[in-house]
Amino acid sequence: MSPHPLSPSPFGRGGTPGWPRWSLGLVALLLTGCAHRDRIVVGSKNFTESDLLGEIVAQQIERRTGLSVERRFHLGGTFVCHQAITAGQIDLYVEYTGTAYTAVLKHAPVADRDSVYHTVARDYAQRFGLAWVKPFGFNNTFAITVRHRDATRYGLSRISDLARLAPRWRAGFGYEFLERADGFRGLANVYGLRFASPPTAMDLGLTYRALAEGKVDVIAGNSTDGQIQALGLVVLEDDRHYFPPYEAAPVIRQAALTRHSGVAAALDQLAGRISDAEMRRLNALADVEHRDIASIARDWLRATVP
Amino acid sequence: MSLWAFYARNSQEVLGLVGQHLYLVAISTGAAIVIGVPLGILLTRRPAWRGPVLGVANVFQTVPSLALFGFLIPLPFIGGIGATTAIVALVLYALLPIIRNTYEGVAGVDPAVREAGRGMGMTDWQLLAQVELPLGFGVILAGVRVATVVSVGTATIAAAIGAGGLGVYIFRGVAVVDDTLILAGALPAALMALAADGLLGVAERRFAWRVK
Repeated sequence: MSPHPLSPSPFGRGGTPGWPRWSLGLVALLLTGCAHRDRIVVGSKNFTESDLLGEIVAQQIERRTGLSVERRFHLGGTFVCHQAITAGQIDLYVEYTGTAYTAVLKHAPVADRDSVYHTVARDYAQRFGLAWVKPFGFNNTFAITVRHRDATRYGLSRISDLARLAPRWRAGFGYEFLERADGFRGLANVYGLRFASPPTAMDLGLTYRALAEGKVDVIAGNSTDGQIQALGLVVLEDDRHYFPPYEAAPVIRQAALTRHSGVAAALDQLAGRISDAEMRRLNALADVEHRDIASIARDWLRATVP
Repeated sequence: MSLWAFYARNSQEVLGLVGQHLYLVAISTGAAIVIGVPLGILLTRRPAWRGPVLGVANVFQTVPSLALFGFLIPLPFIGGIGATTAIVALVLYALLPIIRNTYEGVAGVDPAVREAGRGMGMTDWQLLAQVELPLGFGVILAGVRVATVVSVGTATIAAAIGAGGLGVYIFRGVAVVDDTLILAGALPAALMALAADGLLGVAERRFAWRVK
């Protein structure tokens, strides 16, 4: 499965440093053979936010427990990370509750934050031997986004404000949003959105550019994307609670939690520490200002969890 | 759902996308010929321009399509979202083989033949139209053939900028991890590339036979 709404931006950064390809294969071979007793292997999905959160978690474990942490970042989508952690190739990665709920566990989407988290935590423990740590605090959902100019001119703050403008507006959406069960079709029904023409289907990363340049009037981005802030865009509130919650939280193998007693406490210190705005700011540091992910994580930890 | 069941159920849509795909390839390859062939000929007359022009055409080949689209969106006339932007990108990608082969085809004409033409009192235009272009036509056509086949494949990226084509199925399939959808777009595109290659190959052979 793809990583919930968060496809990698074509302008994004990140990735593994310059290891030769064969060395990764060798590492994988070694890992399958031995249980990693004195180290924790942290993975991440293939987009900036996942790399950032993986790095924050990795550094937090290093600081608090003295364990050595191996980073296996930018692995691929949800499916790859899920396979890797259930196979014991990685011990830990950051997942989103709504993605686990719909993509991994195949439940029909619901909008209640707590019930999604509890179902996911219970099912992961029973079926995969994986534990969900407390969420970081932000919700990376689909962000129905408009230009700041239009938001002030037409007094837009909620998605339901769009209904009266839709017949004159053009929409541009990524393919994933147009296809998903919790995507455009449901949104149009719940909010009564009737656009003049069918939405333009295009690459998610390009929709931001198209909106900023006035080629379309409304897009569905990711609520924590750095582009939203950088391009001066406005996210409309999902006032009818159409989208399920997508709270990010570390998922960790229960075996690793038992073996390394300090890890749970270290991760708990991160719970509730990152708001939507804070995550957006961190993503912007990486994607817009092109700062190094390791140094962003270091500065954030030093300032927030001293 | 099997691929055939998918086609049976969505035949109208498939035909529409095939049509859009052909349109994108035809317009962009046509434009690349109109720009590339004269440019290639010009390079044989101005050898000093060869390095810079081919260099620029080379650079366009290496720019990733999404980055190129990103640059094109804000531009007036040739930019925006939709077919125009996709065609501009496809033209830029198709230019290199056409310019290069036109240059090679015309420059590669046997100097003795060219001298003979001049000896008969041919002007530069006559030499070009009656000697160099006919003799170099096979090589030029080979360049057009490569450009066309590559364009059929590359045109799938048009779906990233809302220009339709068979890439729509590929992008949708990738977004929801549906192999049937991906194949539904990739298979006709591959067949189209093979057909274009075959047809232009036949034209090339016909022509080679006529020259003899």
